[in-house]
Amino acid sequence: MHRRSTSRAGRLVLLGIIGVAFAIPLAWMVVVAARPHDAAHTGAGITALLDNIRSVWEWPGADFPIYFRNSTLVSLLAVAGMTLSSAVCAYGFSRLRWPGRDSLFMVVLATLMIPPVVVMAPLYVVFKKLGWIGTLLPLWAPSCFAGAMSIFLLRQFFRTIPRELDEAARIDGCSHWGIFTRVIIPSSTPAIATVALLHFIATWNDFLTPLLFINHQDQYTLPLGLHMFNQQHGQTPWPLVMAACCITVAPVMLVYVLARRWFTQGVAATGLKE
Amino acid sequence: MTSLPRQSSHSLRAVALGLLWTSPWLIGATVFLLVPIALSVYYSLTDFSLLESPVFIGLDNYRELGRDALYFKAVANTLIFAVASVVCSTLLSIIVAVLLEAPLRSAGLLRAIVFAPVLVPAVAACMSWLWLYNNEQGLINSMLRTVGLPAPDWLGSTSLAMPALIIMSLWVIGSPVVIYSAALKGVPASLYEAADLDGATGPWRLWHVTLPMISPAVLFNAVMSLIWSLQVFAPPLIMTKGGPDNSTLVYSVYVYLNAFFYSRMGYACAMAWIQVVATLVLTAGLMLAARRFVYYRGT
Amino acid sequence: MSSTGDKLVTTRRAVLGALTAGALGAALWPRAPRSRADIPAGRTVLTYWEKWTGAEGEAIQRVVDRFNTSQDAIWVRRVPVADIVPKAMVAIAGGDPPDLVGLYSFNIPAFAESQAALALDDLAPFGDRIDPAIYAPAVDRLLHYQGRQWAAVTSCYALGLYCNLAHFRAAGLDPAALPRTISQLDHAAERLTRKAPTGQIEQTGFQQNLPQWWPYFWPVLFASELYDPGLDRPTIADPPGVAAFSWISDTARRLGVAESRSLARTYDRSFHTSADPFFSGRASMIVQGPWLASFARSAAPSLDFACVPAPMADAVFDPSAPLGMVEADVVVIPRGCRHPRESMAFIRFLQRQDVLEELAQAHGKSSPLADVSPSFFATHPNAQVRAFDAVIRSRRAVILPQTRVWQQYADMTSGAFDRAWSGEPAQAVLNEVQARAQELMSTATARRRAREAAAP
Repeated sequence: MHRRSTSRAGRLVLLGIIGVAFAIPLAWMVVVAARPHDAAHTGAGITALLDNIRSVWEWPGADFPIYFRNSTLVSLLAVAGMTLSSAVCAYGFSRLRWPGRDSLFMVVLATLMIPPVVVMAPLYVVFKKLGWIGTLLPLWAPSCFAGAMSIFLLRQFFRTIPRELDEAARIDGCSHWGIFTRVIIPSSTPAIATVALLHFIATWNDFLTPLLFINHQDQYTLPLGLHMFNQQHGQTPWPLVMAACCITVAPVMLVYVLARRWFTQGVAATGLKE
Repeated sequence: MTSLPRQSSHSLRAVALGLLWTSPWLIGATVFLLVPIALSVYYSLTDFSLLESPVFIGLDNYRELGRDALYFKAVANTLIFAVASVVCSTLLSIIVAVLLEAPLRSAGLLRAIVFAPVLVPAVAACMSWLWLYNNEQGLINSMLRTVGLPAPDWLGSTSLAMPALIIMSLWVIGSPVVIYSAALKGVPASLYEAADLDGATGPWRLWHVTLPMISPAVLFNAVMSLIWSLQVFAPPLIMTKGGPDNSTLVYSVYVYLNAFFYSRMGYACAMAWIQVVATLVLTAGLMLAARRFVYYRGT
Repeated sequence: MSSTGDKLVTTRRAVLGALTAGALGAALWPRAPRSRADIPAGRTVLTYWEKWTGAEGEAIQRVVDRFNTSQDAIWVRRVPVADIVPKAMVAIAGGDPPDLVGLYSFNIPAFAESQAALALDDLAPFGDRIDPAIYAPAVDRLLHYQGRQWAAVTSCYALGLYCNLAHFRAAGLDPAALPRTISQLDHAAERLTRKAPTGQIEQTGFQQNLPQWWPYFWPVLFASELYDPGLDRPTIADPPGVAAFSWISDTARRLGVAESRSLARTYDRSFHTSADPFFSGRASMIVQGPWLASFARSAAPSLDFACVPAPMADAVFDPSAPLGMVEADVVVIPRGCRHPRESMAFIRFLQRQDVLEELAQAHGKSSPLADVSPSFFATHPNAQVRAFDAVIRSRRAVILPQTRVWQQYADMTSGAFDRAWSGEPAQAVLNEVQARAQELMSTATARRRAREAAAP
């Protein structure tokens, strides 16, 4: 009995330490962002935080309103494209029976092992040939051609939908497209929401793609804009950099707070790493 | 006999329909994966600066790689980072997941706190950690000083910069923790009860009951984290730019520098191509080596 | 219980839906980018990428504004861009360049060889050729590569030694005789350095890694040019380079390797602010560009300081011809520029004496032109500008190696600097740099020749 309670106390202490350690980097971001950024301002706190965020928003060398707009636009397009195209592919991999289906699906999964960094240089040439350099297309258009993780997740879910529903729809004269839109999609909203959320995070946070393929300030997304803001000629004061971080992180955190359960389900099913 | 041709035409139609439904992925994988990989094989045999058209030079890029001391340094740095990060993050995430199993009111909040770093854009995470590691004003050194410990120059020292990046990578273990938590829920309570009857202690139980039962999740996480850590890019680029004295120059950063800073696209493609092969070999090796230790129930 | 749960889910769905709708609204909000606002109708718009921000950015913006109001056919839109060199290279390769790009003069060989920039001489049909005689000789050399002019200058700089005169007096040094040679510099630094009993440096006299922005600069003070263009050979491992890097090692050893490095890293973000190591009095002497004096006016108005050209090795000392490196900020017209004629008009405006002098004064720098108007120095806000001007007009002024692999060569000197600071022998460290740099140069040259031979 006694041993139990000490081990429980030890557990609690360890958990407390873990909680604090994991919370600090984000919490500290806000703390630093709430410090005055130049000698003209004094006193830390909410006023300073809002003041810093306004300074970043209106910073003449950057254009955060446009970065925000671009990030939102790109994320919406990418999420829409990814969920729709992956659902179509997942239907082909789960509800249709055809020779070679499962071997092809293994190939889909195998592509997960290819590091995206590897294709970054030649991908530039491909985008150039497609005439996409100088546009936002490289950031979202590839998402319209499905992704291995999303297909995997949706296929798992589609397989659990009873086949009798298909049969009933077919008797009613539905084509495959009809079954897809009237039976499969309506009964898969949790899985689709999970795919959408995971892809939203991936697109919103993506740094490498805009770093390589976006050249005009008017087309920067928030992570690239933040990097450039930090890199700019001459030094940017720390509180302003942290305020810009807050602008970038806040939407993701908001979505996470609202939709935590779907995230946890999605990650447990696929494993998400940055 | 007469039904055979009809059947094959039927299966042909089925294949055509299947390919049609999966065509988004087929097209995407061809254009954004296969073609770039094929191009990168070709470019690796050329002198190509992005601005000029490629000129075939045979295996010169690979020969030069063999003499490039910095390249080998990047390989070594990447391996050090990958091994340390995979081992430490696997241990830490199992420990955290097991601890989180405790029946607690605030478990949900703790899980959220542990998971949140996964969602932070890498650039913002780097800014935050740059500040934590800051030499004189950083939080880590302030705390070390308060308790009377030496406050090292984390990112400025050739021996500590890489460990600092590895520590930072341990902050992002939300996904494995979630996966382990799910796996832990699947361990039958009867096994624990049997172990308790045998008078097993906590650590013994963890090692002999829990770990074997969640070993498929361990393998999955180890593979994912290996793939991810072999291509680590943003933290070294943003936080140390590969320094000091190239002690944090990792593979992807060196590829990026060559492709986009030194205009040596051909050379960069040779490196990238080797990275694909190495990643596949290492991943396959890990999976083979782990086969002995992984316990699949019901198979 | 379950009903409140359902309610929670519904409200969450509602909030998420509202969020998506809001995002849709934000995504479709028709907002013009800041840099595109207020462009008058009917003008040809030139996009001009420039690296400067802050007060330096405002100065170039005033020049742009002056140009925009001086005529009514062209409108220049300045966009501040970080990491400008790779961004420009990638945009040009993608066929989507801006009309004008502000680069560093050391980028010219790489851009010229790969035809990423248009030679200004080739644009002569659009107006008179710029007479190279207008430039100060060192600047003229910087703008030309293989006999052609590739860029216009916006500003130029040399490095000087900033001395805190109050510290000099306090240490019993003569503020009227600032260090001009390396041994005088070492002597003064010794007297100005104060250490705590723990070894921590409370005040540093001088250290080469504060800031560590020009690791390749120090051999120049020992009369090395880093590169022999005739032989296409790097020369950093020759005796002057070794002497310079040994001097760096000696400084680190005297100050304490870890302590001095730690001090330098503390300031990696505070240069030019009021916490700058020189402004705050932590460093008594610092090698920096002329802009530091401009920042001092706002960040440390009461600081009593003076500048001299960076001190040179005793063996090559000649006060009438200081050794030093001249670098310039330049503007090129990239390949694929949609409006070369209009861009050339802007460049010609930029090269006017009054424009360049206005910009130089605003940046605290000296003029890149051969002729300097009589009032330039009298009205110059930087009282120390003559120290920098002396280097730019010195017959021993050095320009950085004009080779396309310079960026890589420079990055290697940075690693070598760190190793020398840690105490590794200079000769061995530099031999490695030299061998690899030589390989890169020879390969690049051989491949360029092969390309030229293959081209019709």
